[in-house]
Amino acid sequence: MTTTTPFPFPPTYNFPPFFTPQPNSNTRLSQLEKWSSLIQAWCRHHRQYRLSLVDAIDTPLFHNVQLRKRLDLAAARDVLDWMTKSEEEGGGGRRAEWLDASTGGNAVPKSVAYVWWRRPEEWADVVADWVENTGQRGAVLTVYELVQGEATVSQDFHGMDNDVMMKTLNILVKRGKIQIFGNEGEEGVKFF
Amino acid sequence: MSRRGVGLGAFANRTQATQSYATHGANLRSTHLSSLQTQLSVFQSLLHTFALEHSSTIKSNPTFRAEFARMCNTIGVDPLAASNVKGKNSRRGLGEGGSFWTQIMGGDMNDFYFEVAVRVVELCRETRAENGGLIGVEECRNRVGKGKAIGSGLEVSEDDILRAVRSLEPLASGFSIVRVGSKQYIRSIPKELNTDQATVLEAIQVLGFVSVSMLRLNLTWEKARAQTVIDDLVADGLVWVDAQGPEKEYWSPQNLLDDSG
Repeated sequence: MTTTTPFPFPPTYNFPPFFTPQPNSNTRLSQLEKWSSLIQAWCRHHRQYRLSLVDAIDTPLFHNVQLRKRLDLAAARDVLDWMTKSEEEGGGGRRAEWLDASTGGNAVPKSVAYVWWRRPEEWADVVADWVENTGQRGAVLTVYELVQGEATVSQDFHGMDNDVMMKTLNILVKRGKIQIFGNEGEEGVKFF
Repeated sequence: MSRRGVGLGAFANRTQATQSYATHGANLRSTHLSSLQTQLSVFQSLLHTFALEHSSTIKSNPTFRAEFARMCNTIGVDPLAASNVKGKNSRRGLGEGGSFWTQIMGGDMNDFYFEVAVRVVELCRETRAENGGLIGVEECRNRVGKGKAIGSGLEVSEDDILRAVRSLEPLASGFSIVRVGSKQYIRSIPKELNTDQATVLEAIQVLGFVSVSMLRLNLTWEKARAQTVIDDLVADGLVWVDAQGPEKEYWSPQNLLDDSG
């Protein structure tokens, strides 16, 4: 969670009503959009792939110390809930996804969520492009190399959450771009 | 001392005198008129030359453009509307209906205002959920000036924005300019603000935010009146609520625009 450059908050962050759920539905929609982009920007800045509400609720993201305003837990959960829904359902374009106990989340439902500042499909494109541009089609890499290896230091997906990487790779498998083999925890990937 | 005419001859004399006065007056008037006409046409052709000579400056420099437009307005030439400057100056044969800008600058200027108008409409639509369809002309200018894509910023003055909004009028666009307190706003939803609403918005301009008790204190309104006005403003999306203080505070979303894009 530590980065050298401070996170540049948008002007909305210093607007006191931003922290109160708005009663007018149009205003509310605009508010949710702003929260969604703020949360995504925050996570991107901190290279964070999942957000635990209990942990995050006291961070500057949800708590503006200067204004002495905060988004409370229920309100923050509403925002993330909205983010998990697709635009057709009147949500924020599936920019988040709740983790339940079986997928490594907390036993309490809706307490930890992936924040998709890039959706797994978008990550799949990024990885596929990288393979293409570095001429590694036909190469074999371990997942560890892909995430932690020196070759990917300059890449956005370097140091990525392992589960997110696996989601990404599974999409590439479905697209017929790669094959995964090996045991769980030490998978290897072959690029076609 | 001239001898005053007596007898019938005096009547004839007087009629003659009146006639010659009238003729002389008519002469004078027509000379005046023609000299004024000459002056005006000289001025118009000078304006024309001036506009042509400085066309690039007019296009690129918002202050200069505003001043030029003001000058045109003063002599009764509305640069945007289909202009009455025909005859001598419309040698360019750009059609009867072309505006002054079109005639002197080959359509670029109209295009410029249409371009600005498009940006303004876009911005109003984008931010309608955020500000309830009321956006400050100044904020609007800043945003259009920045542009969204790199290099798409359009340096404009408030005058340009106003002109652009006015150019939308023939389309029955529902866009209008409203003045609240010291500020001008573009209203993109055809809904009037009533006096009380305007008063509250003005108070927010000055104080930053308002609450029901502030309205009661400062305007000596009854509670129900203050509450109704505020509820209406909230329902129209014109103010945002902050419920985390001891009393609910109502803020205008105008400052949000800065670069929330």
